[in-house]
Amino acid sequence: MRKVLILDPRDNIAVCLVDLNEGDLVEQDDFSITVLSRIPRGHKIASSDIAKNDGIIKYGERMGHAVAPIARGEHVHTHNILGDRLSSEQV
Amino acid sequence: MSDQLFAYKRENGRWGLRNHVLILPLHSALASSARSIADASDGAVAISHDWSGEVDNDLARILFTLTGYASNPNNFAVVFLTIGGKEEVSIIEGAKALGLTRSTTLSLPELGSLEKMQSEGLSVANAFVKEAKAQERVPAPWSAIVLGLECGGSDALSGITANPALGVASDRLVELGATSVLGETTEILGAEHLLAARAIDPEVGKRIVAIVARYEASINYEGIDIRGAQPSRGNIEGGLSTLEEKSLGAAKKAGNAPLTGVLEFGEKPVMPGLYFMDTPGHDIEQLAGFGAGHINVVVFTSGRGTPTGSAIMPTIKVSTNTPMYTSIPDLIDLDAGTIADGVETLAQVGDRIFNEIIEVANGRLTKAELGGHHEFALSRMYNTVIK
Amino acid sequence: MSQTIKGFAHGNRGAGIRNHQLILPSVVCSTHVARRIATEVKGVTFAHQHGCGIIGDDVAGIDNFFIQLADHPNVNSVLVIALGCETIQGQELAAKLLKSNESTQYRIIQESGGVEGTVAAGVKAAQELNNSFKPASVEIASLRIGIDVGRTSSLVDELQKVLTNAGHTVLISQSEDSSAVSFSHLAQEKAQLIISLPSENQPTSGFPLIPVINVASSGALHQAIRADFDIDESTLLGGILGLVQSVASGAQTVSERNNSGEIRAPRVVRSV
Repeated sequence: MRKVLILDPRDNIAVCLVDLNEGDLVEQDDFSITVLSRIPRGHKIASSDIAKNDGIIKYGERMGHAVAPIARGEHVHTHNILGDRLSSEQV
Repeated sequence: MSDQLFAYKRENGRWGLRNHVLILPLHSALASSARSIADASDGAVAISHDWSGEVDNDLARILFTLTGYASNPNNFAVVFLTIGGKEEVSIIEGAKALGLTRSTTLSLPELGSLEKMQSEGLSVANAFVKEAKAQERVPAPWSAIVLGLECGGSDALSGITANPALGVASDRLVELGATSVLGETTEILGAEHLLAARAIDPEVGKRIVAIVARYEASINYEGIDIRGAQPSRGNIEGGLSTLEEKSLGAAKKAGNAPLTGVLEFGEKPVMPGLYFMDTPGHDIEQLAGFGAGHINVVVFTSGRGTPTGSAIMPTIKVSTNTPMYTSIPDLIDLDAGTIADGVETLAQVGDRIFNEIIEVANGRLTKAELGGHHEFALSRMYNTVIK
Repeated sequence: MSQTIKGFAHGNRGAGIRNHQLILPSVVCSTHVARRIATEVKGVTFAHQHGCGIIGDDVAGIDNFFIQLADHPNVNSVLVIALGCETIQGQELAAKLLKSNESTQYRIIQESGGVEGTVAAGVKAAQELNNSFKPASVEIASLRIGIDVGRTSSLVDELQKVLTNAGHTVLISQSEDSSAVSFSHLAQEKAQLIISLPSENQPTSGFPLIPVINVASSGALHQAIRADFDIDESTLLGGILGLVQSVASGAQTVSERNNSGEIRAPRVVRSV
């Protein structure tokens, strides 16, 4: 069974189908990634390095932007990304 | 098994997939009486709401909702509970104009007390229930189905398993000549351009973009952060990080069919096809809009699990993941989590959902119906300013 | 005052004239489960449509509203029923309630095995609360009485005087269309009993936690449904103290007999 799901070749994130622990090495198809932090099932892992303000791409579409630089293998979620609309930086 | 649809033929050319006797209080003070009547009856259903006849900026929306809900083709008959106000009359007359043929109006001042309303209401309800049970379903065309697409308690798998599988079933129904309606404007914000690109003509495409813009403007004030509400706490725990992400997943429920039209809250689609209706993401307010829009069956995908249903529309629950299905099975009719596990393909689950829709349309009761879930909520703007 | 009233000591909530167990759904999606539990244990619950999809001032507004209901003097214990994914989280609400009232528990549908599991667990929790918290009797010398003014009446000032002269504290709330909104304000101000003068175009209303004495006007609607009222304007000033005494001592009002109360929560912004 796959551990992560890449929904579209244009995506810079993948969806974790199982809980992943820091240090895990995920190898499937022709894709290999080292997990840099604990990521719960259903959450996202960066499949490329993402610069601050870069778009987050899922399903081949932009779903928001990075508010901090994100390294390949890191957990991508509300702590380091924000939607483009109706969301503001937490003060 | 799923070769033929059988439904209740209504006089206005619409079809009912259920044959409900609805006890409808037109004033919040009559809600408990409606509930008592339904509970004591041989199978009538009731809803409750908190409108007490007040005239404010939500009045038109409220009247439109109750009129549409009363005339939904799944209703065999309606027992209106009233206090004799003139707005109430407009709801009753409006419902008749939209095709409601059997109804009785019980007026509190004419009966003299809530107690009398309850006893009279019970005998009227039971007489209607007896008649309703005697009516038979007849062979119906696929166009009899008006499907509502809903998601609630979504998680990251919603856009990967249940929603695209529902999209497969929705596409198949639309191809057969049925109608399918996507709602929840909050949850296409970020994906509306994809729906606009499939519009049958540019006007429809412009309308869907305009509706999302209108929604966004209505709540966009300085410092707004609607996270916690959208995405909800449960969505966020389940892996959804932004509203756009949720919307991209939510829009998958509508499959790939061309977009035939855009409806206002509670507006009824006049010809078959795929539509978008402007409703809030709030699950129950959205279902009220669907009911008012004469939708007669709903598929409701969920990642976290929710028991809610509708008094008049059978609501099929589809889980996005197998662990939730296993832990809270009495909420869910069908599991799409098998897609994530690689046990079934999207096409296979889409097929299962399609078959489930037909079986439920033909009379099989959903978990929400068996559990007696008749939640209802009037959708209000309150003091929100629509620019 | 002529007689004191035997009430229920409800700890930090104060002294109550009813001994209600509140089954509090923190979100619309748990209202039906809450009702099933309440029916079985003879607790009090209410239908609402809030707790999810709310933003801005409504988040604190609804949260505070639920807290104030749970803190009402007529309440003996509270069981919060949550779904699990909503904006107003049931366990957080329960934690806040527990700070001032020990007689609080919560159950979560998504974590209790679904509907049947939660109904069973909820009934058990409600029964445990009832067994653990049996309120002592307490003498109440002075009641907090809310007056819901839905129509202009010269009687309101007189009524206020009669009640205050008898030693009661009077809270006034104006309502035009909906007594329900008024009742919620009075509940938040901890009125133990409510006297309602609904608009001539409005029927009687009740409130699940607070006995409501409905006063009939001479208008056509009210006279047509006189049986749903407790007292007429013509006998109000002379009869109110006796009626207050008997209702506070346990006699049910018509709306309590009809079980016809609804609770209307305050909202300012649309749902999302």
